[in-house]
Order: sequence, then structure tokens, then C-alpha cells
Amino acid sequence: MSLASPILAALAVAWLVWPRRGLIARCRHALLLSDRLRREDALKHVLKLEANRQVATVESVAGALHIRSDQAATLLEDMEQGGLLSYSEGRLLLRPAGRELAVHVIRAHRLWESYLAEQTGVAESEWHQRAERQEHFLSRQETRALSARLGYPQQDPHGDSIPDERGELDGDCGQPLNAAPLNTPLVLTHIEDEPELIYAQIAAEGLSAGMKAVVIEKTPKRIRFRADGAEHVLAPILANNISVALLPETSTQELFAEEYLASLRPGQSARVLGLARGCRGAERRRLLDLGFVPGTIIEMEMVSPGGDPTAYRVRGALIALRREQSRLIRISRATPLAA
Amino acid sequence: MTANNLSMVSWSSNASAQTVPAGVADVLNATHNLRRQIRGDLHEQFVEAIYADAERIANRAVTRDGEKACPTWDRAIDHAVTSRVWGFPLMLALFTLMFWLTINGANAPSGVISGLLIERIYPALRDGATQLGFPWWLRGVLVDGMYLATAWIVSVMLPPMAIFFPMFALLEDFGYLPRVAFNLDRMFRTAGAHGKQAMSTMMGFGCNAAGVVAARIIDSPRERLIAILTNNFALCNGRWPTQFLMAALFVGSLAPAHLAGFVSAAAVTGVALFGMLMTFAVAWGLSRTLLKGEVSTFSLELPPYRLPRFWQTLYTSLVNRTIFVLWRAVVFALPAGAIIWLSGNIRFADASLAEHLIHGLNPVGLSVGLNGVILLAYLVAIPANEIIIPTILMLTVMETGATGLGQGAGVMFDLDSGASIKSLLQNGGWTSLTGVNLMFFSLLHNPCSTTLYTIYKETGSVRWTAIAALLPLALGLLVTFLVATLWELSR
Repeated sequence: MSLASPILAALAVAWLVWPRRGLIARCRHALLLSDRLRREDALKHVLKLEANRQVATVESVAGALHIRSDQAATLLEDMEQGGLLSYSEGRLLLRPAGRELAVHVIRAHRLWESYLAEQTGVAESEWHQRAERQEHFLSRQETRALSARLGYPQQDPHGDSIPDERGELDGDCGQPLNAAPLNTPLVLTHIEDEPELIYAQIAAEGLSAGMKAVVIEKTPKRIRFRADGAEHVLAPILANNISVALLPETSTQELFAEEYLASLRPGQSARVLGLARGCRGAERRRLLDLGFVPGTIIEMEMVSPGGDPTAYRVRGALIALRREQSRLIRISRATPLAA
Repeated sequence: MTANNLSMVSWSSNASAQTVPAGVADVLNATHNLRRQIRGDLHEQFVEAIYADAERIANRAVTRDGEKACPTWDRAIDHAVTSRVWGFPLMLALFTLMFWLTINGANAPSGVISGLLIERIYPALRDGATQLGFPWWLRGVLVDGMYLATAWIVSVMLPPMAIFFPMFALLEDFGYLPRVAFNLDRMFRTAGAHGKQAMSTMMGFGCNAAGVVAARIIDSPRERLIAILTNNFALCNGRWPTQFLMAALFVGSLAPAHLAGFVSAAAVTGVALFGMLMTFAVAWGLSRTLLKGEVSTFSLELPPYRLPRFWQTLYTSLVNRTIFVLWRAVVFALPAGAIIWLSGNIRFADASLAEHLIHGLNPVGLSVGLNGVILLAYLVAIPANEIIIPTILMLTVMETGATGLGQGAGVMFDLDSGASIKSLLQNGGWTSLTGVNLMFFSLLHNPCSTTLYTIYKETGSVRWTAIAALLPLALGLLVTFLVATLWELSR
């Protein structure tokens, strides 16, 4: 007993103050880490506003980071002293070091989202959340390696452009879907991934950047539009988070005539135009390897008695696909072979 | 995810950081710049180019005469076997026939082999060992332990596999099995699995180790893991005898005599169906939890029908599947036989090791409606489910001290008459609950060591192997505990 208590006390002290592993060191590390994350998030916010020709303020930083204004002020003061920002007449401007860091963090974020989309089976609704964390932990070198591994992607899965290491950040192009004209061909350029709740609803509709769309009806309560062959109805608050651009070379008729493999009936055949944007990663490569490349003639052969997988004849082979896949293969029936 | 991240980052190489000659650096830079000019997915452009080239060459070199003649027969068969009306009944009839042939056809050869290996060669070996002056313990370990366990496994395992696997291979070669996957995909899809799992599950009814290997046909990583981890819920042929025996002794006897056969058959079918239910439930759970982030794709090729190459298929299925599985089972059975014999013959503090273990396991066993004998049997008979019943009988004789049965401590045996088995077990404290729970536990417990080793070989991961072992075991203890609790409450 007399021997045990000093040993226990020593252990407890060691557990508290041990360098790098002790409780105090861990707490300090966590504090420093959360400080760094906040700094990087603030820089990201300033750069994003700048790219869209807006100016960041203490209030906007506080709003973006979900902290109080006085906390934001202290944070920005620290950053100004660190040479990341300059602060004049209530306007926040990036210094070169801050800009470089902000571009890196955004680049890491978008590359990580691309990685999750292309090379894992992580659900679409989780991409942003995971990238939001990972962006702070990828070094410059790791980001470079990631980019190489993904084949130097130019756009992330939401349609945002991925900046070069020292490059500029493009602003969000296009206009919100709410403001788009009726009956005009559009392309979805960007789906805002914040706030999460709204993004999850948009993702659940199966909408993604790169889809072609036409707005059919607009009322104060809802927006009805056709995107990649299917009709969608969204509340304006959701539609506001979707950016679109006009497609001048395409006519509305062409867009309405666009069809997907899922709409073929038994015995009918069609020509493949390509794979939709929503078809990604391993799934996309598999379909390509099986011969679903532009120009291939496909005939619908039979449907499973269970009603779902459907067998198609592709270049002499019989291949069964599920509905969620055949919905992603664009076809045209304008072929002489149509039965 | 974190492991994944690390592995992804660790290969990161930085070309510019290495020292390379100036000329090489120029080439590297040039390729780097060219690569960046190609927009989009490189793989996609390659595939399209390859298809375009192949098509051009084929159009120039291959002549096709007139209308496509080939698919007409195929189409007729396809429309019959995947039709809404005939698809499922045809499938059911075919597989019922296959199981019936396996179970009934295996009885006679099993009897012949066991007559040879156990009734003729075993006593001869024993006498031989005695005459050569082997000490009793060496003879026990080698002949009563290792030889007997192996002989038992071979005689029970070989005939059904030698019948089932070739039939399966013939159907596969004919091209029918992919159509089964096509028909059943809807069911598997709701559970987050792949239609081809229908085939690995079917194979699992023959042998789980073979079923795990068969999961290779699934090319999507997530669905393949699901198929591997849930294969154990397909009742393999090593477990059918346990099911039939328990159903006949403890379930059939609850019903009036003229219904007994029907009731016990229904009970076994019920357990097998419960296994299918568990397959879907566990697949559903796994695809939404542990396997959420794994890559998932779907495609199912339906090859053209062709007449099976009979002898070739027969030969490859015997060599690749039957002999392969049997060999692995034998490798694991040898040490297990030794352990079983030793546990019955190493004595300290006035009882054998097995008896000590039985007493230690009894509280756990009884709380889930089983007993210490059963748990110990599953512990020492991990190599193969085939030797569970002989081991249980041996342990029960040892524990109850019944005389006139068996051939001594540590020597496995079986009895011909159900009635004598039942009275022996009842002396060991068995009730109907024990029998029913043994049926459940035989379905839901860790796979045999052959299967576990195969899972390790196939996944290359200790983690998935551990999950494959512990998940069914936990489910088994849970189910037997629930059944035991309900049983107590309803009395």
C-alpha cells in the first residue's frame, strides 16, 4: 500500500504531462489543430467570395464558420499578424501566403471529393462532409500524387473546377435554376454542397453537374424541369442551390428526344450515345469494358421474371444490367436497325 | 477509410524531387504536359479507341453469312427458363432433383467407404500398431485419433461432393447457372448483394469452402465480400446429417407417429430456409454498415448455351473442387483427430481434460439451451462439421460413464439405431430444446477451419476472416439464447 500510492501518483502525473502523448499535450494539440482548421476555413471563405466578386467581412466569416463575431475578429487579427490577410476599411483581402494556402485547401477538398466519387463506394451524400475534414490533412505532395492518380481531373463531381497549385480559382459560373428561362436548353454547372440538408435532397433526386435540362414550369411554390430524360419537381429553395448555364447549340426538341437504355422495350434496338455523368468510377469503366461505347448497337432481349435486371445484346454478347445502370446509358433510336 | 488513405498516400512519388539526367527530365516534363492536355478520363478514351479499332478490323476480316442463325435456339431456351410462368418452377424442380440425387445417391457409397475405412482398415491398423509394439498413447494419437477422424471425414464428405459438384459443373458448363442469377437478382439486390451470389450460395450447400471460392465470379468488391461472409449461412453437406438426426430424434418425435417423417423433414427445410433468411438479413446489414465504402458495380454476362463437355467437366470438377476441398479438410482433420483423442486421455485431478472442459463449459452451454458437451464438440471439431455427431457421442459416453457403448476414451463412434442414440443423449441430460438448439447452432456458428482458411486466402485479410468467424457465432449464441428463453417461458 505504502509503495503503491507513490507509483500510482507518478503514473497519473506522467499520464497528464507526458510529452506528445499526455493528456495536456493532447489537449494542446487538439486546440492548435482546431485553430488551424478555423484559419484554413476562413481563408477558403475569403477566396471563394473573392472569386465570385464579393468581399468578405468579419460577419461573413463568423457566419461561414458558425462562430461569434468577436471570436471571428480575434481569429482574423491573428491571421493578419501571421501575414495571411490584410484588413482595411472593413474589407478582408488575401495576402500571397494566404492565397496560396486557400487555393491548396480548396484544391485538396475538390480532389478528395473526386477521389471518393471515382475510386470508392462512399455514398454521394457523404462526399462533402468527408472532404471537408480531409482537406486539412493532405500535404502539397499528397495532393499532387492524388491528382496524378485521378488523371489530373479538371472538375470535381459537383462541377466545380479544380484549381492548379498556384492557379486562380474560377468563380461559380451560371445562374441559379430559379432564374433560368422557360423551355430553353440548359446544362447544370454546379450543385452547391452546403447546407448539407438541402444538398442531400438534391442528390437524392439523382441530379448532378453536367446533366442537360429544360425548365417546364415555374410557380412560386415549385419548379418543374426535365433533366437527362426524367422529370423533377423541386421547391425554389432547393432549386436555388443548382447553377445552370445556357446551351445555345442544342435545341429543345433534341433534348426532349434524348432517351436512355431503360426505356427500350423487348425486341427494340438503339445506338449508344454515351454514358451519363452520374455513372462514375468502377461502374463506368466496367460498362465501357463491356462495350457500352458510343456507336454500339444494343438490342433489348429479355427481362428477368423478378422484373429487374434486363438482358441486352451488345456486340453479340448477352449482358444483363440493372435499371439504375440502364438509366445512365444515353441512346438514340435513329437507327435503320429498329425492329 | 484511414487505412485506405494511408495506402493511397504512401505510394506518392515525386518525379521532380529525384535526381534525373537533363534529357530524361525533359521527356518527363513533355509527357507530363501532354498528359494534362488530355481532358477527361484516359481509360475511357483508350477503351473507345480500342473498340473502334477492333470493329474496323473485324468488319474487314470477318464475313457473316446472311441472318444471324445462332441466337434462335438460345432465345427459345432463354425465354423458357426466364419466363414469368416457368422460370421459378423450373429452377425449383431442377435444384430439388439435384439435392435429392445428392442426398440419396451418397448413402450407398458413404456406407461402402466407411465400411472399408472404419470397419475393415481401422481394426487392422490398430492390431498392426499393437503387434509392432507401439506404446498405447502413440497408437491412440495416430490410429484412434488422427486416422479415425480423417477416415470419418472422407467417408461422410467425399460421396456427396463427388455427386453434387459434377452436377453443378455440368449445369454451369451448359450455361444455365447465369440464368439463375438473372432470375434471382431482384431478391439479392434488395439485400445489397449480387445475383451471382445465388450460385456461390448453391455451391455452399455442397461445401462452404467451395462456395467461398465460387464467389470469385462476382467482380464487384463489395458484393463479393458479402457473398464470402454470408456463405456460411448455406447449410453445407457436413451439417445436413446433424440436422436430419436431430430433427428425427427430437422434433419428429413430438408429432404423432404417422406425421413424424413429414414434420422432421419440414424442420430441416425450415432451418435451411432460416439460413437463407439470415443470408439476406446479414447481407443487408453488412452492405449498410461495415461494407458501406467498398466499391460496387453490377454486370452479369449470360453466355450462349452449349452442350457440356461431359468428361472434361467431370474431371476438372473432381480435381478442382472435390479433391481440393477434401485435401484441405484432411490437412485440418489430422491434428484435430489427435487433439480429440488427447483431450479424452490426458488425465489430471481424477478426470480427463475433456471432462474438465465439459464442466467448465456447461454453465455457458446450459444458459443457451445447449450443454458443455456440444460446445466442446464444436471447439475440438472446428476442422469439419462431419465429425460433430461422432464427437458428441464419444464425449457423452465419457461424461455419463455409459458402459457397452463406444470404444474407449477419445475414440469417435456412431450408432446405427436412432433409438439408442436418443437414449444415450437423454442420459446425458438432453431434452427436445437441446436438439432444436443444436439444429440452430449447427446452422449458426463459426465456419469450419477449412472454410476459414479459404476465406483468408480469398480476402487476404485477417480482419474479414475474424468477422466471418465471429459474426455467425455471435448470431448463433443469440438465437439459441432466445429460443431457450422462449422455451422456458412457454412451459
